[in-house]
Amino acid sequence: MIERTITITSDPGIHLRAAAIFVKEAGRFRSTIWVMKDGIEVNGKSILGLVSLVAEKGSSITIKADGEDQDEALTSLSSLVENRFGE
Amino acid sequence: MRSITISKLYEDRHEDFQLEVLSDSLESKREITVSDINRPGLALAGFVENFLDERIQILGQTEVLYLKTLSAKGKRESIGRIFQFTLPCIIVAKGLEPPGELLELAREHTVPVLRTPLSTTPFIHELTAYLDVVFAPQTVVHGSLVDVYGVGLLFTGRSSVGKSECALDLVERGHRLVADDVVNVTRRHEKFLIGTSSEILRHRIEIRGLGIIDVKSIFGIRSVRLQKRVEVEVKLQDWSETEDCDRIGLEDRMTEILGVEIPIVIVPIIPGKNITVIAEVIALNHLVKAYGYHPAREFDEKLMQAIHRKRLQDRLVRDDWE
Repeated sequence: MIERTITITSDPGIHLRAAAIFVKEAGRFRSTIWVMKDGIEVNGKSILGLVSLVAEKGSSITIKADGEDQDEALTSLSSLVENRFGE
Repeated sequence: MRSITISKLYEDRHEDFQLEVLSDSLESKREITVSDINRPGLALAGFVENFLDERIQILGQTEVLYLKTLSAKGKRESIGRIFQFTLPCIIVAKGLEPPGELLELAREHTVPVLRTPLSTTPFIHELTAYLDVVFAPQTVVHGSLVDVYGVGLLFTGRSSVGKSECALDLVERGHRLVADDVVNVTRRHEKFLIGTSSEILRHRIEIRGLGIIDVKSIFGIRSVRLQKRVEVEVKLQDWSETEDCDRIGLEDRMTEILGVEIPIVIVPIIPGKNITVIAEVIALNHLVKAYGYHPAREFDEKLMQAIHRKRLQDRLVRDDWE
């Protein structure tokens, strides 16, 4: 399992649309994806899970990936967050 | 380690406990980190070994009466003994009047002093109950929690295995949704689990192809619940991956959440299989067992009796040479 901590830079934080984009990308990989904030860990393939973190701009989240394509998954998902969900 | 501030305690419970702030502020150098409380009687009398300074200190009639017997100097000395430690806060029960020296020293050491009119023992019970909830171990489970015939079923399994669809189907049949996707589970009294939804998601379900729906606004108040004891885990698993599903139900398989054991049922799924009815039967079967009847074991016993009878009959016929 590998993980990376990233700061949210997009203005609205992880809102519904951003969560949907993240989940869609996470769903491309076979690895299990977890997203953690303030000690709470949710499934990275669940929209409701992600929005329940209420991640605002400036807060940091930790993305964890575990599985055969974990490296690719973590790189792709991290850059998605860094690029403000492509918005 | 989790902790709460004295302000938070005051904010949460000052109405129930009718708390009155005797010090200048609620500011404290130490936060509350444990759910136990301490009565500092022995420490005031001079025995400070093993003094439990991390706990809220409760002064009841005994402590206040004892302090009253002392001279002004004696009071300062006695009270000073507990203030050599960093205390989170002091609460005086029964509406008693603490000596002025206590308030002075508390101010000096920035320890908030509160007062409640409640009697000491009932107050301690209520305060401990509140702190137990605050410090109860918690975890987040990826799954759905539904109250089915009064039994809390926790559906788990990989993403998009059909947990939410199953929950929706159960709601449609009159059962009650507690949480979908993200279930906050808290352990209470060391032995049972309570599940709730996160506040922001409350009673929302994501259905693929449809988006996010609000169950309460569609199905009404009777379709939802705020919290429910988690009683059985129902794990939905792809048919191909399921080698270990139970075919007879003689053994009750158990799983562990936060150190509490609950039964688990692994349900292999294939397209078109009616999970909802199976879920209802899982709940009813759990109830039947809870009432002391174990269907599989009962059946096994009947079977053994039949085998035994058959053997007796066979022997009778075989040995019958009349």
